Amino acid sequence: MTARLSPDAGTLAALARPELRIDGPAKVTGGAAYAADHVSPGTLHARFLGSPLPHARIVSVSVERARAMPGVHAVLTGSDVVDMRFGRRLQDRPVLAWDRVRFVGDRIAAVAADSVEAADSAVAAIELELEELPAVSDPEAALASDAPVLHPDAAEYAYLEGTRPPVPHPNVQGRLFIKRGAEDLEAVFAAAAHVVEATYRTPTQHSAYLEPHATVAWIDEAGVAHIVTTNKAPFTLRKQMAAALGIPADQIVIDAGVIGGDFGGKGYSIDEYACLLLARASGRPVRAVARYAEELGQVNVRHAAVMHLRTAVDAEGHLLAHDARILLDGGAYASAKPLPHLALAGSVATMAGYRVPNVRIEALTVYTNFVPGGHVRSPGEVQALFAGESQLDELAREIDAEPLAFRLQNSVRQGDEGAAGEHYREARAEAVLKAAGAAIDWARPRLPGTGRGIAMSARHVGAGKLPLRALLHADGRVEVRTGLPDQGSGSWQVIRRALAVAASIDEGRVDVVSVPTNEASFDPGVGGSRVTHIASQAGAALGTRVREWLEERLPAAVPAAAGDVHLIGDRFVDGAGNDVASIAAVTAKLIVADDPVELETVYDGAAAHAEGDPGDYDFAACAVEVEVDPDTGRVTVRDAVIAADVGTIINPVAHRGQLEGGFVFGLGGALMEELSVDGGAVTSLSLADFKIPSAGDVPRLRIVLVPTHVGPGAFGAKMAGELTNAPVAPAIANAIADAVGVRIRELPLSAERVHRALDEGADRMPLYTRARGLR
Amino acid sequence: MTGYTYARAKSLEAAIDLSLRSAGNAHFLAGGTALGLMQRQGLIEPGLIVDLAAVPGLDAIEELDGVVSIGALCTLRRVELDAIVARRLPALAATIRHVASVRVRNQATLGGNLAHADPAQDPPPVLLVLDAALRIAGPGGQRRVALAEFFVDYFETVLEPGEIVTHVDVPIPAPGSRVSYEKFLPRTVDDYATVSVAVRIDRGADGRIADVRIALAAVGPVALRIPTAEGLVRGHAPDEIDLEAVAAAVRDTIEPPDDVRGSAAYKREMAGVWVRRVVGRLLRDIGTEAAG
Repeated sequence: MTARLSPDAGTLAALARPELRIDGPAKVTGGAAYAADHVSPGTLHARFLGSPLPHARIVSVSVERARAMPGVHAVLTGSDVVDMRFGRRLQDRPVLAWDRVRFVGDRIAAVAADSVEAADSAVAAIELELEELPAVSDPEAALASDAPVLHPDAAEYAYLEGTRPPVPHPNVQGRLFIKRGAEDLEAVFAAAAHVVEATYRTPTQHSAYLEPHATVAWIDEAGVAHIVTTNKAPFTLRKQMAAALGIPADQIVIDAGVIGGDFGGKGYSIDEYACLLLARASGRPVRAVARYAEELGQVNVRHAAVMHLRTAVDAEGHLLAHDARILLDGGAYASAKPLPHLALAGSVATMAGYRVPNVRIEALTVYTNFVPGGHVRSPGEVQALFAGESQLDELAREIDAEPLAFRLQNSVRQGDEGAAGEHYREARAEAVLKAAGAAIDWARPRLPGTGRGIAMSARHVGAGKLPLRALLHADGRVEVRTGLPDQGSGSWQVIRRALAVAASIDEGRVDVVSVPTNEASFDPGVGGSRVTHIASQAGAALGTRVREWLEERLPAAVPAAAGDVHLIGDRFVDGAGNDVASIAAVTAKLIVADDPVELETVYDGAAAHAEGDPGDYDFAACAVEVEVDPDTGRVTVRDAVIAADVGTIINPVAHRGQLEGGFVFGLGGALMEELSVDGGAVTSLSLADFKIPSAGDVPRLRIVLVPTHVGPGAFGAKMAGELTNAPVAPAIANAIADAVGVRIRELPLSAERVHRALDEGADRMPLYTRARGLR
Repeated sequence: MTGYTYARAKSLEAAIDLSLRSAGNAHFLAGGTALGLMQRQGLIEPGLIVDLAAVPGLDAIEELDGVVSIGALCTLRRVELDAIVARRLPALAATIRHVASVRVRNQATLGGNLAHADPAQDPPPVLLVLDAALRIAGPGGQRRVALAEFFVDYFETVLEPGEIVTHVDVPIPAPGSRVSYEKFLPRTVDDYATVSVAVRIDRGADGRIADVRIALAAVGPVALRIPTAEGLVRGHAPDEIDLEAVAAAVRDTIEPPDDVRGSAAYKREMAGVWVRRVVGRLLRDIGTEAAG
């Protein structure tokens, strides 16, 4: 195992300063250029014809009228692009459908015109004839033996980097299966003292980023394709585009940079493909900006889930066995899923952070005639944890155990394996549960109509390889050039601060410049809670390189400075603490103006771990107190605590923003966020109907940091982006059960749902509540 | 969005005239908050937009002979912060605070809010219980319509082509009158009401309820009063009123739609809950005052 040391006091002091975000000034002054801002003279505007039906055969598409309309420069249909399919791993989604459409909004034709209005008019003039096919509306129906097979040609689909794992049914996109402990799980359940079994459901939701997907595509004189995009992983997009369109990757340049919010959705691109083909057909740059109704109705939704869970304890309340079958609505294409298994890694986290010796978990992503599911903040965990942490509470009540004590009894200790076989470098379950319980004053008597609930998550910190290049200028500036975008969470600020602290120079000297793929080295992009880890490590390594380079050459610049001189606090200081030289004085002597020195490092997050190393996990517990209006069912969160296992914090303001924002994100998912669907089509097509929390909905919220310095990032940093949202919904569901004795097994925990449960189940009060004599 | 002609009227007469001379699809623009949204959603396709911003004399708030008269072009924010409204119609000021955000209220007008006839808006039920009436100018001259007769259907009013709401006249309630508005927001504080309820109770000298108004919004095509429920309160002593019967009368009258803010059954149930609560609270307030 790689030894990890705590950073020294000086480093910690430098990291504790509230940061001024590197991307802040441009954003608050309106100077930041987002993808949609890249409009050059002659740019055409793309609009698309989408399918009005969830499943249909395309009989005919007539575009003659559309082509003849004023201002129209190019019209493409599926028949122009037969066999062009795209995807992040499995390329199963047609750029434009030619034989059949598989969800409402599936693209059939694309138009490039002088104006958005002209393009809209041309789209409206396309004559489309469809023959409706039976639609598969939910994953359970999709797995029936006689269900229509949505992708009969799946064997022909390209699968990037490797071989697609086999699937048990043609409508399965991907599968995760975990089996631990006893071979005969049924025998363990049969012999157990107590068993609870229930089905939990979570709905289709949307991340509701501020900036819609946008792209501008053009082809230069040399025939090179240029794509400006909101995609947060430009190198992998380049690879996907090359494979889908049959263009060599070195003939595609992707420029991402400033992205206006992500929460998972910006890892997936749709319009880039057709826009590039339209640019080729028209000879002009082509720009597409999604309308928000299209975002909500057609792009990258959170997989709805149906989760059947069964969990057993022995007579002493120890978890004995867990069996989970998780069905996730993958929608019409697996195209948005990046991982090799084409499932959601987090969907097996039903009992993350708990010790369960006998386990079987099967999680399937399933094809349906619905919007393709993608990654949304803590993909899979949000669904699985709602089910698992709800079930743990039901189990505690079943055996009349106190829910927090029951969790503490069963949570992993150092050296324990998690339920899904996780090996934790540091098992912090007990610490976060106790901290959350203490902060919410768990044992304090409840007032009538109020209740408390708690839930925990344990999520892996992402990893990967990140090269970084710096230009050291004669005036003492350090200019980092990277292809890693900043989708708003502060990746560039992580690089800047890690570099500055490792080099012991002022942060103001460090600039981070976003460059397109042809000027940067491959990186995995933003996502999977990997950025703080790899960007801080790469930044710190580059900072160390900068410091060493300067210190080595110092005698050449300042002959008197031979000996024990170091760069400390932005100055060269000798062993006696005397100021020897400023950085600018040294760089001016060593570096020729306009000919900066280039320094490069590569951090490889996978290589930094020895084989068999335990994984880096972040634990968090959420505890809430709710009040339930018995007449209306309205749930009001009165008090909330997040106890978060955190490594060394690099940017305190952004870090707190992620933890608090994660809670609010989870609150929305818990109480209000649900895309309504009718006849296979999303009907809540505006943010007036699909509601997310506003500032006025946020309750008293306290963040309790449970610190460590054993993170995989520089100085011992961990992650923060996907740390706090997943446990919020089960904590609230558990608090509702505590308050009014009803168990809601479906999100969102709407007033109407609680009201209905109160109406139907007033006499089914759980033991735990009854024992306390409330109500 | 297709093209349209924009015209800025300098007078009421010019605005009416312009709108009538267009081939059709003329829309008046006041604050534009609703018009812009409806245009973007493709719900309307105006051929002509007549901007009323430069029409003089429609932005005053005056008190005369027991009536507060509010110019239709007054922004909601202006009404909310006005001294006369604060003194004479405090419930109206409090209600307007529920509309959207300060930014929107700085733009949206009271006349536009009513003419838009969105059945989930906040001001209509309170103005209904306050017995508000609208002054309307049109090609045939002026007319006056009680707000209770103004709304016809979803986003539809009695306004004829060329007619413009010019003033909202609100009688000042008698001193013994109490008005309250509740907006039920089960999802988020930033939303249209799932149901909303306005109640006005006038206490008589004999301690009985001399008069009552109960109005709801977001429970059907128009904001409406519920006379059957009012009948169970009017003329009674506070302690003999059966609140559950009042709630039942409300549930029996309304026809709420199923939508993202709740099922029809839930909204019906909630309308009863909130009427019971608001009427009950006002009766208690009156009882406390009488005892004090």
